[in-house]
Amino acid sequence: MATVECRSVRKSYGEHEVISDFSLSIEDHEFVVFLGPSGCGKSTILRMVAGLEDITGGDLMIGGRRVNDLDPGDRGIAMVFQNYALYPHMSVRENITFALERAGETKDMIARRLAPVVETLGLQVYLNRKPTELSGGQQQRVAIARAMIKTPEVFLFDEPLSNLDAKLRGHLRVEIARLHKELRSTSIYVTHDQLEAMTLADRIVLMNAGRIEQMGTPEEIYSRPATLFAAGFIGTPGMNFFNLVASGGKLTDGEISIDAPFPLSERPVTVGIRPGAISLVRDGMPGAIPAIADRDEFHGETRLLSLTAGRQSFMVAVPASVRVAEGEQVFVSLAPDQLHLFDTESGARIDA
Amino acid sequence: MRPGTLILRAVLILAGLVVVIPLLWTLLNAFKTNADLLVGTPKLFFTPVWDNMDYVLSRRSVARALQNSLIICSSAVVIGAVLGVPAAYVIARIKNRATREAQFFALSLRFMPPVAVAIPMMVIWISLGMYDSRIALIVTYLTITISITIWLSVPAFERVPIAVEEAARVDRLGPYATFFRVALPIARMQVLSAIAFSFILVWNEFLLALMLTTSKAKTLPIVASEMSQLGMNVPWGILNAAVVLLSLPPLILLALVGRGMNTAFSKKSPQD
Ligand SMILES: Nc1ncnc2c1ncn2[C@@H]1O[C@H](COP(=O)(O)OP(=O)(O)O)[C@@H](O)[C@H]1O
Ligand SMILES: [Mg+2]
Repeated sequence: MATVECRSVRKSYGEHEVISDFSLSIEDHEFVVFLGPSGCGKSTILRMVAGLEDITGGDLMIGGRRVNDLDPGDRGIAMVFQNYALYPHMSVRENITFALERAGETKDMIARRLAPVVETLGLQVYLNRKPTELSGGQQQRVAIARAMIKTPEVFLFDEPLSNLDAKLRGHLRVEIARLHKELRSTSIYVTHDQLEAMTLADRIVLMNAGRIEQMGTPEEIYSRPATLFAAGFIGTPGMNFFNLVASGGKLTDGEISIDAPFPLSERPVTVGIRPGAISLVRDGMPGAIPAIADRDEFHGETRLLSLTAGRQSFMVAVPASVRVAEGEQVFVSLAPDQLHLFDTESGARIDA
Repeated sequence: MRPGTLILRAVLILAGLVVVIPLLWTLLNAFKTNADLLVGTPKLFFTPVWDNMDYVLSRRSVARALQNSLIICSSAVVIGAVLGVPAAYVIARIKNRATREAQFFALSLRFMPPVAVAIPMMVIWISLGMYDSRIALIVTYLTITISITIWLSVPAFERVPIAVEEAARVDRLGPYATFFRVALPIARMQVLSAIAFSFILVWNEFLLALMLTTSKAKTLPIVASEMSQLGMNVPWGILNAAVVLLSLPPLILLALVGRGMNTAFSKKSPQD
């Protein structure tokens, strides 16, 4: 078991700097998810931890030891790749045991370690097949088994579920969560899928353009996004944003106006609110904002209404039983305790 | 079937026949007596005789040429593979100025007319006192086998997914183990085809052999061609028998690795 620590880690490809100053400390047993849009540098950092990518600057510590110059095989890590990366010329059994054989383990020992891994991942019947004879989900199970059998100090996952269809993704996600509960190995998991991040992570490291945007438990990031980017990235359907100006205890754009939740100096603010925190109300309620319904999307348990109020358009989640005709006028109210305020220019969260 | 498809099919079949019929004809004629051969209307049905084959196989010059061809070609192919396959792997995996130049050089050897090699080579081997030796022909043929092996193996290695090699590094394999235990086994069919193709090329090679040998090191194509230089009285049966004999090794190789060779020349990856 081990801690992982990045101290001012940098990465450049030639002149092009991808990661400028990345510092992060991961505790023993922790399951950390790197979440962010495609191209933000998640894989680059993971691959630097794995040793597959040279580290341009800074220190990488695993278990308190500086490992910048160690080969991937000597870092005590195991990795699961997006496209499985199984050895196509070997059987499933050989794929899983190859590393142990290379390490000179006895046949006996290998068999003893293979059994529980195969058991856990339900691979018994596939042991003699070639990877090409397996479905994507089964292949990724084999890849996880190959990582598990090495009993690594740190598990690294690079978008392991991205190539699978939605249903399988759900299954395997649950399985990975269960495995982590059992093994408790330190894990770093890279994904662009917020659902995976929310459900798996002890801690999410939200990244944007090579920097950490916010770090925290899924609840923290969801309920108190630190920046506009974090607020917009997390949550489905996405948060609504209103570009308003604070003045005299009100937030207004000239057409709509809401009470400021706390005193603010006069300046432009962006107000964020999740679609579920807006409700339809009767006309005449204090603070009710009139809006026109543009679209109505049926999502099963809920309906997602697209509304327009003056210059602002936004989404509201309502129970599926509520029916609103297109073009109909409705009134909405924003839950005051669920407003997120951000500085429009810097994107930083504003708190009381 | 639409008329367009029908016409295309017909053209395809015709083209196939144009290729196959002369070969079949040669095969048939190798087993005919001169009396059966030299008739006005070609005979499809006849009593096959082994005489022509017998004659060819019992000639001392043919036996020696066969031995020469086998030794020269297999040496050139084996050395070419030992040098060319690892070179192809490096060119496929390490992209920099040097490897790009090396790849282009291997390719450019393919574009060079053989005469441009033959004459300087002749001078070199004569002045080294090694003219008309097997060694001279082996070394000369290496330019063919290495370049073909590199040229056709580079795409084979490029098709090995990088992630698989990275997985191997995580599994504690060094660069050599990654090559021998992972990359080579994955690319083996196409690499074997590349090697087989280089064998076929040198086995059929004529011009260099003609210019670099006079007696001791003569290869089979040279000896076979000499059989037609008997003036007006061409021994057709014997000639055909020699051609059949000459064609056998490439045909056998083609049967063994033909499928892999097809993928070696097409761009489609077998793993997608
Ligand atoms: N080999 C490379 N050469 C140059 N730039 C690269 C290379 N690999 C990745 N990058 C750049 O680094 C950035 C981060 O890439 P990556 O870590 O793969 O993103 P993510 O995994 O978050 O989608 C991207 O902008 C990408 O263009
Ligand atoms: Mg990535």
